[in-house]
Amino acid sequence: MAGRWKDFGRYGANGAPGAEALGIAIEGMVHGISSPVDSERGLSARLNYLTKSDAGYEAMDRAGIHVSPRTLMAWLAEERSPNKANLTRLDAAYWDLRRRNVATDLKHRLNNNGRGTRVEINPVNQAGVEQKYQRDLAPRSINVRGVWDRAVDAWMNDDLADLDAVWDEILDLIGSDYDGYSYVSSIGWAA
Amino acid sequence: MSEANSVEALLEEARLVAAMPPPEERLRLREAAGFSRAHFAATVGVGRQTIANWETGVSDPTPPARYPYLRILKGLAEIYPAPPAPHAPPANSEEIAALYTGTPTMPPQLPGPVPAALAGLETLRGPDGRAIEGDPGPCVRCGVETTYQSTDGRPLHSGALCQPITPAPPTRGPEATAPAPAPAAPAQAVPAPATTPAPAVVSPVAARVPTRPQRRSKSAERAEADLMGLIRGAVEHEAERAGGDEDATLKALIGRAIPDVMHLFNETRATARYEYTAYPALPDILHKPSKKDPDQIWEARPAYNNPAYSMRAPERDIKVTALDVNAAYLSALKVWLPIGKLEHSTGMDGVGPKRSGVHLITPAEWAHPHLPDPLGDRDTPGALWITDATLRLLLRLSGPKWALTEAPTVHESWTSGATENFLDALRKLLVAARSEAIAAGDRLTLEYVKAMYSKFVSTMGESVHNREMVRPDWMHLIHSQAYALHCGRAYKAHQAGLDIVALKHTDELHVTGDWRQVFTEGRGVSELKVKQGDGKTAGEYLVGKVGG
Repeated sequence: MAGRWKDFGRYGANGAPGAEALGIAIEGMVHGISSPVDSERGLSARLNYLTKSDAGYEAMDRAGIHVSPRTLMAWLAEERSPNKANLTRLDAAYWDLRRRNVATDLKHRLNNNGRGTRVEINPVNQAGVEQKYQRDLAPRSINVRGVWDRAVDAWMNDDLADLDAVWDEILDLIGSDYDGYSYVSSIGWAA
Repeated sequence: MSEANSVEALLEEARLVAAMPPPEERLRLREAAGFSRAHFAATVGVGRQTIANWETGVSDPTPPARYPYLRILKGLAEIYPAPPAPHAPPANSEEIAALYTGTPTMPPQLPGPVPAALAGLETLRGPDGRAIEGDPGPCVRCGVETTYQSTDGRPLHSGALCQPITPAPPTRGPEATAPAPAPAAPAQAVPAPATTPAPAVVSPVAARVPTRPQRRSKSAERAEADLMGLIRGAVEHEAERAGGDEDATLKALIGRAIPDVMHLFNETRATARYEYTAYPALPDILHKPSKKDPDQIWEARPAYNNPAYSMRAPERDIKVTALDVNAAYLSALKVWLPIGKLEHSTGMDGVGPKRSGVHLITPAEWAHPHLPDPLGDRDTPGALWITDATLRLLLRLSGPKWALTEAPTVHESWTSGATENFLDALRKLLVAARSEAIAAGDRLTLEYVKAMYSKFVSTMGESVHNREMVRPDWMHLIHSQAYALHCGRAYKAHQAGLDIVALKHTDELHVTGDWRQVFTEGRGVSELKVKQGDGKTAGEYLVGKVGG
C-alpha cells in the first residue's frame, strides 16, 4: 500500500483502505437475484442459474457442493431442500458465478470505450481527530482509465493485493496529495 | 528550379516590404488574431522583444525574419481588414452592450461620420503594448475623466471603448426631438454623410454599466434560455423520430427523462459555487437493508382524515371541495440540502439555519383536534428519525407565531452544511418549461417535464436507474419538504377559517367553505385546482358531522 499513513486510526481517523473501497464499489455494480436463498423463490432461482451451464457446475464444485446428481434433481424438483450448510454454499456459488458472468460487462462499462470512468474519492472521516493532527483533505474527482480490467479481475478473484496495486495507480493520478487518500471514507462512480 | 523559387521569393519579399504596414497596424493585426508576441516570435524565429520593437516602431523588420513576418501580416490583413474608422468601437462591443440593455443586436450599421477632430485618435501604448496612464482629465471623446491618453497627449479612454459622441441625427420633423436612442446605437439612417454633423452635447455621465446582480440575472436568463432550448429540442427530436405518433413520442421522452434531467442538472451547476458529494459514506440509518425494505427515515407523509366529518353521517349537508396541488415535488426542490458528507452530532448541535440532514427526535404530543399532525399518520410512539425539512416545520409550528405544539427534543443528528439554492436553477428551469407547455397546450413537454422532475427525485437515492449520484438523504429531504409544504397549506386554510376534512399524499387537500378566498385557482406551481376524477371524493362532494 502506498503512503506513509503508518498507524492509521491512531488519532481517530475513520475509513477503509482504498483497495477495499474499490472492491465494495465494484461489488455495488453487480445485481442479481434479490430474494434470499432461504426463500423458496430465491433457492429455485439460484438452482436454475447454477444448473443451466457447465460453469454453474464448476462454481458449485468450487463452493464445495459435492452432492449426487440424484440429490440435485430432488432439489430442483423441490422434493427435498438443501440443509443449512448447503444453502450457504449454494448462495456463495451463485454469487461467484454471477460475478464471473457480469465481469465482462463491468469491464466494458468501466472502460467506457477507453475513455474511462470519473471516480469520486471522499477522504477519511476526521471528525474525531484533534485539529492539530488533521490532514487537509478535500473530496477529489478524477478520471481513471486503463486499470479497470485488472481491477475487475482482482475483485473477481478476491485478490486484495492486486486491488491495492490498482489503487496505487489511481493514487498516482491524484498527484502530490496521494498519501492522504490511501484510506478513504467512500468512493463512487456512475458507470 | 530552386533558383527560380528563390528569385520568386525575393521578389515577393520585395513586394511585401514595399507594402509594409506601419507599426500600429502590425500591432493591431496581431492583437486581432489573438496571438501573443512570444508565439509570433517563435514562429518567425526572433526574440519576443524584437517583435515588440517592430510593433512600436523602434525598429523595422530585417531579414531573415522579415519575410515570414510580413507574410503572416499579409495573411492577417486579409482576415482582419482595417476598420473603416479608426475610432469605431470593436464590432462586438455593441453586442455586449445590447446584452445588458436588453435590446437585440442591430445588424452591422453604417458607422456614423467621424468628427474630424476625433479622427486618428489612438491610445498611447508603451513598448509592451499596454496603455499608459497619465494625469487624469476629461476624455476628448466622451467627457468622462480618465487617466489614459491618446498618442497626441490628450486624455482618451483606452481602446476606444468609451461611448462615442453620438452625431445628432439630421432633423426630420418631430421624431428627431424624441428621446435619443440607446447610446451604443448611432443614428439608424444617416442620409447625407457628407454634411458635417453638429457636435452633440457631451454627456457627463458614463454609459450605464449593469450592476453585478443585473449581470448575474442576465447570465442566468441566458443559461436558462439555452437549457429551455435543450428541452424543446428533445421533444422535437423525439416527435420527429416517432413520425408524429404522440404516444410513441411520450414513451421515448419518458425513457430518456433520467439521463436528460441529470444533464440539465449538471448544466445548471456549470458555474456553481459548491462541489457536492455524489457518493458519500452513508450512515446506517440511510441504508436500505434490502431492495424492498425502507431505511429508517420517517418522511412524515400526511394521511389525515378529520374524524369530525364523515360521508356516512346520517345528514350530509356540508360541501367539501377536493383540491389538488400542482407539481408538488417540483416546488419541493427548493429545500435546504446538505452539500457534503453527513457528520454525526448529538443534542441540538446539528440543528442550525445553515445545516441540514436527518435528526433523531422525540416529538411533542400533537393535540390539535382539527389539524393534521405534521408527522403524518404515525402509529409507533417514541423517538424517530426525521429529515431537516420536517424538523423545520415542527420548529416553526412550535414557535410563537403558530404555537400549535411544543418543540421536539433532538437527540442526535447526521448533518452537513446546507444550501437552499442547490436545485433552484433546475427548479426554475423546469417551472418555466412547464408553464410554457401549459400555455401552449403542449401535452408532450408537460409530461416530459413531469417525468424529469419526478424521476430525478425518486432515483437520486440508491437506484440502478440513476448512478450519477447516491444521495438518499436528498431524496428524503425533498419528499418531506413536499409533505411539509402540504401541511403548511392545511394550516393556512385553517387560519382563514376553512375546515380541513382530509390531507393526503403530497397533493390532496379537502376543505370546507370558500377555498378561493385563500388559494388561487390555476395550474401554476403556486396555485391549486379542483381535483378531477371518478372517485367519491373528487371535485365537490357532501359530508356530515359526526360525534361531538
